[in-house]
Amino acid sequence: MSLLAIEETNQIQPVTAPVAASARNATKLYRTGETEVRALDGVSVDFEQGRFTAIMGPSGSGKSTLMHCIAGLDQLTSGSVSIGDVSLSDLNEKQLTKLRRDHVGFVFQAFNLIPTLTVEENIKLPAALAGTTPDAGWLATVIDTVGLGDRLGHRPDELSGGQRQRVAVARALAAQPKVIFADEPTGNLDSRTGGEILAFMRSAVDEMGQTIVMVTHDPIAASYADRAVFLADGRIVDEIHSPTAESVLNHMKTMGD
Amino acid sequence: MFKLTLRTLNANKIRLALTTFAVVLGVSFVVSSLVLGDGLRNSFGSLSEEIVGGVDLEVEPQSDFGSAQPLDEGLAATVGSVDGVANAVGFVSTEGIQPIKADGTPISTVGPPMIGMSWVDDSSLSGFTIVDGRAPASGMEFSIDEDAAANNDLVIGNTYGVITPAGRVDMDLVGITRFGESNATLGAVLSQYPLETAQELFIREGQLDSVLVRFDDGADRIAVQAAITDILPEQAVAVDQDALLAEIKADFNSGINIFNNILLGFAGVALFVSIFIIANTFAIVLGQRTKELALLRAIGASPKQVRRSTMLEALIVGLVASGLGILGGLGLNYGLRAMFSALGAELPQSDLILAPRTIIVALVVGVGVTMLSAFGPARKAGRIAPIAAMQDSIDAPRQSDRLRNLAGAAVLASGVAVGSFGLFGSIDGVAGRITMLAVGAILTFIGLTFASPAIAKPMISTVGLPLRALGTAGTLSTQNAGRNPRRTASTAASLMVGLALVTTAMVVGESLKQSISETLASEVKADYISSSDEAINSALIAEMGQSDTFSAVSGYRYNEIKVGDDVTGVMGGDLEATGLMFDIGIVDGQLVNDQSQIAVLESEAADRALTVGDELAVTFPSGNTETMTVGAIFSSTTIVDEKYLIHNEGWLTRFGDATDWWASALLADGVSAETADATFASLTEMYPQVQFENRADFNESLESQIDGMLVAINAMLVLAIVIALIGIANTLALSVFERTREIGLLRAVGMSRRQSRRMIRWEAAQVAMFGSLLGIGLGLVFGWGAVTALPDSFVSVLAFPFANIALLVAICAVSGLAAAAFPARRASKLNVLEAISHA
Repeated sequence: MSLLAIEETNQIQPVTAPVAASARNATKLYRTGETEVRALDGVSVDFEQGRFTAIMGPSGSGKSTLMHCIAGLDQLTSGSVSIGDVSLSDLNEKQLTKLRRDHVGFVFQAFNLIPTLTVEENIKLPAALAGTTPDAGWLATVIDTVGLGDRLGHRPDELSGGQRQRVAVARALAAQPKVIFADEPTGNLDSRTGGEILAFMRSAVDEMGQTIVMVTHDPIAASYADRAVFLADGRIVDEIHSPTAESVLNHMKTMGD
Repeated sequence: MFKLTLRTLNANKIRLALTTFAVVLGVSFVVSSLVLGDGLRNSFGSLSEEIVGGVDLEVEPQSDFGSAQPLDEGLAATVGSVDGVANAVGFVSTEGIQPIKADGTPISTVGPPMIGMSWVDDSSLSGFTIVDGRAPASGMEFSIDEDAAANNDLVIGNTYGVITPAGRVDMDLVGITRFGESNATLGAVLSQYPLETAQELFIREGQLDSVLVRFDDGADRIAVQAAITDILPEQAVAVDQDALLAEIKADFNSGINIFNNILLGFAGVALFVSIFIIANTFAIVLGQRTKELALLRAIGASPKQVRRSTMLEALIVGLVASGLGILGGLGLNYGLRAMFSALGAELPQSDLILAPRTIIVALVVGVGVTMLSAFGPARKAGRIAPIAAMQDSIDAPRQSDRLRNLAGAAVLASGVAVGSFGLFGSIDGVAGRITMLAVGAILTFIGLTFASPAIAKPMISTVGLPLRALGTAGTLSTQNAGRNPRRTASTAASLMVGLALVTTAMVVGESLKQSISETLASEVKADYISSSDEAINSALIAEMGQSDTFSAVSGYRYNEIKVGDDVTGVMGGDLEATGLMFDIGIVDGQLVNDQSQIAVLESEAADRALTVGDELAVTFPSGNTETMTVGAIFSSTTIVDEKYLIHNEGWLTRFGDATDWWASALLADGVSAETADATFASLTEMYPQVQFENRADFNESLESQIDGMLVAINAMLVLAIVIALIGIANTLALSVFERTREIGLLRAVGMSRRQSRRMIRWEAAQVAMFGSLLGIGLGLVFGWGAVTALPDSFVSVLAFPFANIALLVAICAVSGLAAAAFPARRASKLNVLEAISHA
């Protein structure tokens, strides 16, 4: 399976764990009048279980599009994406919604929480939408980890930006999804608060075995990941394992040349 | 700024259309009322001239009170002999003259009268012309207006039965007539008879209702009128052409005005409700444009400019709505004509008169209502701080509602105070009480609208309780409905108004029904009661009185008498029969068939210190004063709704008119229902128009009459409710737009399309429930107030139609769901990605 990926992208991907999400030959075209934009150009990539991957690249490189397509929020023009062993191209809108609800977690840059719901209700939201009750023990663990136990009854507008993002991560964790997608989760935060969130996500991977895919353009954010994948012009151009802020920065400089 | 205003409007056409709908509707009603009124006044004006025609002067009876005394028939000749008079013709007419069709069924109309009259054989004095056959000349001949003839297949040369006060007679149809130029009878049936025959059939032997006078050409009109006035008896007056015309026009105009007022009532309700909707829409739209407006402020626009730009927007919306309303009003004008035509009451053709006054009123009303509604939101927009451009707030910052709540509570309290004063204060007369109640009601509406945000949240959480059990979509819908209490409250306000009025009407109607049932059970012993609105044929009553089937029969009539210096109402009937058939609460004395006896209402007897056996001087319209004896004192005003009751005998001499308006009968002992049915069957053959109903049927038909009235009232209010529902749809569409990101997020984390649709629909249902519960609550109170204010003789029991009200709540909730169909669809069709990145 990953052999194909190596051939097509000229990347070396050591397969050490089962795959939580993957893309095969993912291509996405946008048509604006006469011009055609190739947002994704035959991307193949695997995201292994229990690992923290950062997708990096300059604006317009297709990193967000890739994430949206793998998460089932957007559709590919050609190619395929899978969550676990389910291929998303076989699913209709209803099944996609169910898949997102049950197997995918989201953390967005801003506006992650429903303002009318309390912290606790926001955390339980996906389960509530499914009409199920989340595992109480697990929920307690998540809430404990988030460290917002005393704020469960508060509304989002009573929290700081960092606290809101923590709740967003907790919501993503609560559903025990196959994979969590985070889209610039620290983009709106100062570096100290951002660092806390990233450390929190890191510990979710290390201690809970969660799989996280994060889109970012911040080398420091990427340094919290196990692996950084670089996109440019809709293609994967490189990747680093166990990235540091410095190595990522150097890499970006090379890409810029 | 002007350009910006135009661009903003242009970018929001659909929203604009929804907002203006209510104003357009209101203006349409105003315009159609005025246009139709102008048209009708114009054509009735010419119709009046046709009626008066060549009548130079009319001699009419006059009286200070009660019915006018007929003139002596010799007066026509006396007037005719005055110098300068070319012709003087005696005239009689009466209502309830009903020709019978060839198939044996009597001609009937829904409302318009059936008038019989003497034929005036002078083309300038008569309002009629012969279009076929000839004029009725003598004996049992008659003519009828062309529309009545055509609609009922009456053919010249045939003999038809005619029901008259003197009984049923057979008459030969000899002519077809046309009233005025186009026979604009408004659905009335007009038949003509030779004068002598008419006098006999209408029980006016030797008498005239009026004398129509034509002057010699070139006569000195003033001198002739003076000469005629000189020879007239005391109880007659000479009315000249101008005064006659004014009299007739005033008659018509009062009819047209009633009609106009009904249309204006519709307009008022539509406009009142629309104020809430427009204000709400402006508030929401401006809220959504907070950033844009803040940006304008940041780059240098003054609060005044922002405010002005908003008011300008309102001005343009108002102008557009008024323009559409004028067109709509013209359309409605034709629609109303078609409706009346379908109901059998053809309105006379009239030119479409769009007077400048109508256009001005439409513009003032349309623009005024819109700008009035936008004033509050515009002021708020002017207060937006430039810093808001830089802030990322989802819900507008909560400002203190305390002032608003206080103001609302104050207005509410004043409304309750005025209403209570109307109910319990020392006000004389029903009209005064009802007016106070109405003012109180309007104040209560306004106060509650201001204060209702304070109760919106707790009420929504209560109403939404069952929805919480239905999962997250339910919970979210409840919280969304409660998150902006002010918006929820103003959206619901229009529904509240509509439902409060419907409920009031329902409570009054139900109470009326209950009162009637109880009265029938407790005070009515008669087995049969007439159910016709028309006068009852006196010949029929006489015949029933002679029948062995009945042990008591009486017709009932009304007029005026003078007791001391006071003119007061009096009712007449067969006193002994009345005592047998009704319990009128005799306190003292008894009812006996004695022409010199009079029964007095308890309170009146107390005022005049009368007891049984006392003598009382009573003056009748005839001018005679008689000394009567108080024979009984009664306490119930349900059946006898006048202060005095006297015996039927001698009534015609005393009052000049002895028309019975209803009648009742008591079955003789041992007579079976079958025998009674047979008696009525044979009576009906002779007098097909009068129907008697047994108590149960009578009860039912009264109730259905009340229901009919309620249907008419409710039609007006359904309009208000429809407008209110459009308001809910509008608000929700705007809310969905506002919450695009939130809905996107919900969809991203796993809310299905169906759940998102449900969330919006249930929110609408809750807003609708909130509005309808408030409205129904108010309506119950108003209904209680109205029933209390109305006199006991009209409605004595307070009853709440709870089943119907529950149905109403359900209908409103379901309609709320329906109103949300469009916004819900929009919410579910949102592209998740675009929604999340929505600014």
